[in-house]
Amino acid sequence: MLSRSRCVYQGLGRSLSAVSQVNNVLVRQSVSGFSVSSRLVYRNSQPCEVPSSVNVFHTRYFKTSAVHRDEVITVKTPAFAESVTEGDVRWEKAVGDSVTEDEVVCEIETDKTSVQVPSPAAGVIEELLVPDGGKVEGGTPLFKLRKGAAAAAKADPSPAAEAPPAAAPPPPPPPPPASTPTAMPTVPPVPPPTAPAKPVSAVKATAAAPAPAPPAAGGRGENRVKMNRMRLRIAQRLKEAQNTCAMLTTFNEVDMSNIQEMRKIHKDAFLKKHNIKLGFMSAFVKAAAHALTDQPAVNAVIDDSTKEIVYRDYVDISVAVATPKGLVVPVIRNVETMNFSDIEKAINALGEKARKNELAVEDMDGGTFTISNGGVFGSLFGTPIINPPQSAILGMHGIFDRPVAINGKVEIRPMMYVALTYDHRLIDGREAVTFLRKIKAVVEDPRVLLLDM
Amino acid sequence: MMLHLRRTSLLRGWSGVCRCQTGNQPSRNSSSSSTSSLFVAPDSSSAGLVLHSQSTNVYQNLALEDWIDANVDLQQRSILLLWRNRPAVVIGRHQNPWTECNLPAMRRMGIPLARRRSGGGTVFHDLGNLNLTFFTSKKAYDRQRNLKVVTEALRRVRPGLDVQATDRFDILLNGHYKISGTASRLSRKSSYHHCTLLHSADRSALSTVLRPSCPGIHSNATPSVPSPVANLLDHAPTLQWEELLDGLVNQYNAEFGFSSALTLVNPTDESVFPGLSRMETELRSWDWTFGKTPKFSVQTLLDLTDGRSSARSSAQLHMEVKNGLIESCELDVPADWLPRRLSGELVNMLVGERFCPHGAAAAVALLLRSESGELQTRLHHLCDAVLSVMG
Repeated sequence: MLSRSRCVYQGLGRSLSAVSQVNNVLVRQSVSGFSVSSRLVYRNSQPCEVPSSVNVFHTRYFKTSAVHRDEVITVKTPAFAESVTEGDVRWEKAVGDSVTEDEVVCEIETDKTSVQVPSPAAGVIEELLVPDGGKVEGGTPLFKLRKGAAAAAKADPSPAAEAPPAAAPPPPPPPPPASTPTAMPTVPPVPPPTAPAKPVSAVKATAAAPAPAPPAAGGRGENRVKMNRMRLRIAQRLKEAQNTCAMLTTFNEVDMSNIQEMRKIHKDAFLKKHNIKLGFMSAFVKAAAHALTDQPAVNAVIDDSTKEIVYRDYVDISVAVATPKGLVVPVIRNVETMNFSDIEKAINALGEKARKNELAVEDMDGGTFTISNGGVFGSLFGTPIINPPQSAILGMHGIFDRPVAINGKVEIRPMMYVALTYDHRLIDGREAVTFLRKIKAVVEDPRVLLLDM
Repeated sequence: MMLHLRRTSLLRGWSGVCRCQTGNQPSRNSSSSSTSSLFVAPDSSSAGLVLHSQSTNVYQNLALEDWIDANVDLQQRSILLLWRNRPAVVIGRHQNPWTECNLPAMRRMGIPLARRRSGGGTVFHDLGNLNLTFFTSKKAYDRQRNLKVVTEALRRVRPGLDVQATDRFDILLNGHYKISGTASRLSRKSSYHHCTLLHSADRSALSTVLRPSCPGIHSNATPSVPSPVANLLDHAPTLQWEELLDGLVNQYNAEFGFSSALTLVNPTDESVFPGLSRMETELRSWDWTFGKTPKFSVQTLLDLTDGRSSARSSAQLHMEVKNGLIESCELDVPADWLPRRLSGELVNMLVGERFCPHGAAAAVALLLRSESGELQTRLHHLCDAVLSVMG
């Protein structure tokens, strides 16, 4: 008994405890196995890696009754209907994938018909005998399945939640994307946020950091995930920006009561006329455009290669949007010509496109100034980082009721902290503060725009 | 979830359901209480069922097909489902959408793309096209018999109409024009065979969208076989929808010995079709529609000539795409036109992204922001050329 099991398991790299577990099972089964062996047909053409004196069960026909551990069966192309002779194979599963009984392994396309080929039993795909798109006829061997392999040590990229209980003591070697039990149950092992309040960077983009399964027994493994190109590029750009710009941040606070009231009064009529909701972004975007036309230095940028300052006649505002795939920054063009409803429509359209993943390169090109809203995530206060190649960024934060002093009295007002990070090489302190105060003035009383003040 | 479908019941009420006129009249039997009894195991006199989908949304209707295939016991009964869609392109299970249809044109025209689960080639659906799906058990799967229902029905409503089913399961009008194409799917125990029927489809839209998105694609995906098409209405100008549908239902009953009336069904009714919206979501997803494309490669020459310089410049592009994602990419750009460093950066950005102009847009935009002046313009030009290859 023992010699056979050793041969069958060679090359599987199981740990000793697992083998002994399986050995016991095999011993139990082999008793019944011997009694049926006489009914089995041996495949002589199959090169066996075990000595021929050993009883290895290779079946020609699907065996649906007893499941013998680690039996490798060859599944054949089913007969085709309506006297069709051949079809093309399209693989759904790959070598190493585990399948349950009746799960579709491949589909065969014959003459406008797609025929599903299910797995006859649970197991792991051992080998695909036909390339994808290859032609097969009824009866052609399709693939090899290693049966009963729920505890197989083959690289199985399924989440740790499905990790077999039998393999508890030595965890199976984790392939890169699998989530092994991590040290602390509470904090997921994702990379730290890219930079302090980089515009709306809270969303962890790629599939490289799957939510880890709650660890079974407080394991202490590690999980290395390669940084993708996009993240590398962003990281590089941010560091470049930090190294070239002299970045400073100035703060102020905005009393949101007037704009909230304006919104309350007009939102239904606005929705009816323009078919979109009236939000706060339009106020800030318009305020920023007003302030930027007033102070062209904030709208300008230093061209390091030619040592020139580039002043621009137009105001293109980039709005940071968090999408499931990561942070994208679509641009609203020529904001200086737009009113609140135009801006809301533009933001809405871009937001829709971003949500459906349909933003084109032209939508994200350029921009002279960025606005990022950390407030949607509840941020109170923070320093945004400049989105190169620009010279400044406005960070909006959350609106919270706070006691403030108005005319010598304490009143509760909805207040928002705003932050302006700017490039001090180009914009001096006085300009930055004035700029931010202008934004505050417009948002606190939009009539300022009408009076051009 | 499927319990109510298998329980035998004494309910015979539905076979007395009144005939429904299609189109304008609201159906009296589409209330959930009576339609949920539709799929109860039948008695022998009602082993066939004729359904007409109220939805004209291609994803909902394809999901309805999947739902019926998965949830109804077809061993003892068969179903004929009639459905029409607003304009859409439907590709077969193992086809390549970039070779089969013109994705940019479809985007401009607002025509969605769907991948069905059955094999076969690409078709254009619109409200002038009727789809028929014959659901049976695997044993009763007989496509020629199903097509006979259609040809016989047509001959009965318009005697003398020359319609013939071919051995490739097309139906030809006057021996030459294709008015129907077929595809089917065989699952473990059940099967469905569906076919189109061109009544009054928009042929100019059809020819606009059914052409490749971009040249240079090499793939072993199932190709479509283009054929000249015609509308029934052009050759039988008085044949209206009602008469056609009635004729088909009658012939279906006659051929298979059923006596079922046309019943309207609403795929969006979760009480009748629990789980259908989940199937619809899967059919809409990018991963299904584009990601299920068999592996292919793209090899093409990009024209980089810009208005300024008179010299012609071009770049060689070679990409391998698997599961709709760019597995590898080689871009050979003349170094005097753009530094290799930049074309290399672009290549790095593209690998691993979806083969779709929007998939890489954010990454490309990021790349463009790092450059300025002439280099940025050229890089922009190159990016545009590469992205246009992706449909």
